[in-house]
Amino acid sequence: MAFNLTRRKFLQTASLVAAAVPLSKVAYAQPGVAKVSLEPKGTMGDTTVVGGLCEMCFWRCQLIGKVRDGQLMKLEGNPKSIDNGTSICARGNAGVKLLYDVDRLKYPLKNVGQRGAPIWKRISWQEALDECGSKLKAIVEKHGPQGICVFPHGASAKYPMHYFERTVGTHNVSEASFFQCRGIRDVAYVATTGKAPGEFVDMANTKVIFLIGSHLGENIHVSHIKAYIKGLQNGAKLVVADPRYSAAAAKSDIWVQIKPGTDTAYLLAIMNYLVTNKKYDKKFVAEHTAGFDKFSAAISEWTLDKAAKECDIPAAQIKEVAELLAANAPHVAIHPGRHVSWYGNDFQRERALACLTGILGAYYVKGGWVPPKNPKLGKTSWAQQEHGDEHNLNVSHDKKVHPFNPPGTPTELIRDCAISGKPYPIKGCVIWGQNPMQTIPNQEKMKQVFKAMDFVMCVDVMPTDATMWADILLPESSYLERHDEIKAGTGRIKADDKEPTQFIAPRMPLVAPMFERKDQVYITNEIAKRMGHAKDIPVQTLEELVDKTLATANITLASVKAEGGIHLQPGQSGYGVPEDFMVQLFSEEIAAAGFPGAPTYIAIEEVPAGFARLLYGRAPVHTFNRSQNNVWLNQQMPDNPVWLNDEVAAKIGLKDGDIVGFINSEGVRSRTTTTVKVTPGIRKDAVYMYHGYGSANPLMSTGVGKGVDDTSLITKIAIDPESGCHGMRNNFVKLTKDGKVLDIPA
Amino acid sequence: MPKSATNQHIASLYHFLAQCMHYPDPQWMNEDFFNILYQLLETLGAASEGKEIENTLAQSSDPIEELQIEYTRLFINGFPHVVAPPYASVYMDQSIQGGFALKTLNFYRAKGFLMEESADLPDNLIHELEFLSLLAEEADFEGEEEFLSTLFRPWYKQFCPRVAQETRHPFYRMVVTLIDSFTKEEEEDGFQLNKA
Repeated sequence: MAFNLTRRKFLQTASLVAAAVPLSKVAYAQPGVAKVSLEPKGTMGDTTVVGGLCEMCFWRCQLIGKVRDGQLMKLEGNPKSIDNGTSICARGNAGVKLLYDVDRLKYPLKNVGQRGAPIWKRISWQEALDECGSKLKAIVEKHGPQGICVFPHGASAKYPMHYFERTVGTHNVSEASFFQCRGIRDVAYVATTGKAPGEFVDMANTKVIFLIGSHLGENIHVSHIKAYIKGLQNGAKLVVADPRYSAAAAKSDIWVQIKPGTDTAYLLAIMNYLVTNKKYDKKFVAEHTAGFDKFSAAISEWTLDKAAKECDIPAAQIKEVAELLAANAPHVAIHPGRHVSWYGNDFQRERALACLTGILGAYYVKGGWVPPKNPKLGKTSWAQQEHGDEHNLNVSHDKKVHPFNPPGTPTELIRDCAISGKPYPIKGCVIWGQNPMQTIPNQEKMKQVFKAMDFVMCVDVMPTDATMWADILLPESSYLERHDEIKAGTGRIKADDKEPTQFIAPRMPLVAPMFERKDQVYITNEIAKRMGHAKDIPVQTLEELVDKTLATANITLASVKAEGGIHLQPGQSGYGVPEDFMVQLFSEEIAAAGFPGAPTYIAIEEVPAGFARLLYGRAPVHTFNRSQNNVWLNQQMPDNPVWLNDEVAAKIGLKDGDIVGFINSEGVRSRTTTTVKVTPGIRKDAVYMYHGYGSANPLMSTGVGKGVDDTSLITKIAIDPESGCHGMRNNFVKLTKDGKVLDIPA
Repeated sequence: MPKSATNQHIASLYHFLAQCMHYPDPQWMNEDFFNILYQLLETLGAASEGKEIENTLAQSSDPIEELQIEYTRLFINGFPHVVAPPYASVYMDQSIQGGFALKTLNFYRAKGFLMEESADLPDNLIHELEFLSLLAEEADFEGEEEFLSTLFRPWYKQFCPRVAQETRHPFYRMVVTLIDSFTKEEEEDGFQLNKA
């Protein structure tokens, strides 16, 4: 191009040119900058905005935002919070960088290329919603509501999930938080005690904290960690069963370096020891448990020696732990865990944890499992409608396939149906806040699901790997830009308060959404209108939804805002066992469904020669793949080194910092590489890495290709038979270096 | 400073360039627009660049959609990666709406301007060009020079080559080069963007 003039000369020429060319004839847009008649203003100053509710993870810490001229400068814990207080974690702080992430979705996009290899074109909301509405409607008309499957996650996905489940009428909804995370825990405890356990262990006041695999400290939820630390400060003993020397193991009094997959055998041996030696809580067992005799008989085979052999730990150590628990019962915190979809035998392990708590009498007592008495709030959403079980994939011949499934349909049943077309076609896919490419095992299978669809729509804040498979991609306002879910809980204003205080914290926006990002109520309602459900719409705005819910507690958004973003009211202690509370040590219901009525150990596949079991977990500064593109968090922990036993490393010639890739037992290679962390702190038969790295989507410019995507190596699918949830730690890997495959020595 | 025809002409050129950076839409990106563009390029001695754009458009079955796809890829969410988000903060703060956006907004304010409700972020290229147009209209050359040197050129000189080198459409290569020539600092002058 010939524009090589000086600016001065160029301007001279340009002004002549402009005079000669009819520039005024162009149809100009309205300018965004305008002269003001008022005196020019300087900076508008700083403000503190209340009502933030964090969603960098699911814990929902209460926030305030320091805002300057509409720009969020800093996030802090809300000083009024009796939950997280003024503290927030690294991820919470880094919410600012999610908000202003350069790669965030800004406008509705249409894929004019192919699924998996998209070419994006910005389109209007009108066009995007018309396309979503008409395509989904056509699928329902042709295949029925069951022709749509939904993969939701997070606070914003509830409203659309209810729409598709309740109003449209599909059962084919799979939440990652259930089927790839905590669902097994919840259903196992419900089957045992009638209650989902949350993480309601009174760690601050306990005498023993008992963790199976939970790596608190690497897994950080502020108020939970505060309680854990307080408990340790108060002298609680810490028992950690983990194949790896985790952050929790590093603080433990007893580290049980257990063989992966054998945790249930370990628990059964502890319980058998307590029963055999009459060191259980006889009064609690008599008053609040059922099936003790059958339970005792069923677990009697689990001697210390048998478990020691199975779990590859000393029998004396099992006895030591059992004695410690017995000596301190009932003030012992048997942690139910959170992410528990490990081996496909997890329902039984969670049952065992619930039963152990029971025979120690550690329910509703100081230091035990104590559910808080939280404020009662009504629920506002799409009205429940009956849709029958004819198209429920989890019901076959009037019998449930996985009788103790969490809400929704087990993921694998949906995927198999979508791929095979049997028993019916599934042709539409709605992904809302979930990234099924990095949450659900076997990525190739997930791709097959997407390929089988007539239409895929995706709503998210970031261009996650799953968004590459969308036909229409819609940008959602983030948790910092919208009203939304309400966190209700219980805490203490002062540590020595006798009675707890309840709090209600509805999410309020700290800043306005930028670009054309919209919230879930707007998007869902507009699609519902186009699918013929306008009359069923329960609320017009997200604000209305929150206000209607708050009205059930006689408060409003305005009143809570005036209170500093959090409403406080007197609460009640959660101590004291309800009369009707029962622990089903042997469950007739579970037995009737064809499963073991007492907690039972089911052995898993052994590690094949030359391989190591692939274990994964949480990094303290990341929430799985959701935060991998965050610039601050990436800087703190840019990749996920693989933990390798030091003796193994020496034998195969690897040293700390070496660059390695992976190949799994099914021949799948990692797309990327990572570094080796050589340590005695992991068993020889396992390797470990942090989950949620190595995005495949180049649109995630910070996270793409950083570290290794462990999910890409999780190709063998294990299904927990009772719940239908996935087990994801039954995959085996070898390391590769410079193109050479390295066998892991036994 | 008195308003003059020259100032008005420069203002209208800035305004025209700002419009070129809007998302392509047949409502404004029509025959009239392209005719004016070709005329402008011809008068600037860049008729061949105009011809190249004309030929590219003629070869497409849907030239506006092609430009929309390219605009999305270059400036919004492209695959494999967005090429050049048109926001100063991206280059100066590695963030959307970083401190540089605030500095930009404060400059507008100091000159007596505010952002409209419907506006994009203050450091969007379009708004910066609109602002320059308004300054030119007011014959505030000092303000124009200061804005260019402190808030515009530092990021634009990173943005421009990214687009010029990566774009698959001559329209955007031409627009960013034209803006570049129109805003170059004196000390940056003299180099020829097109080595040919």
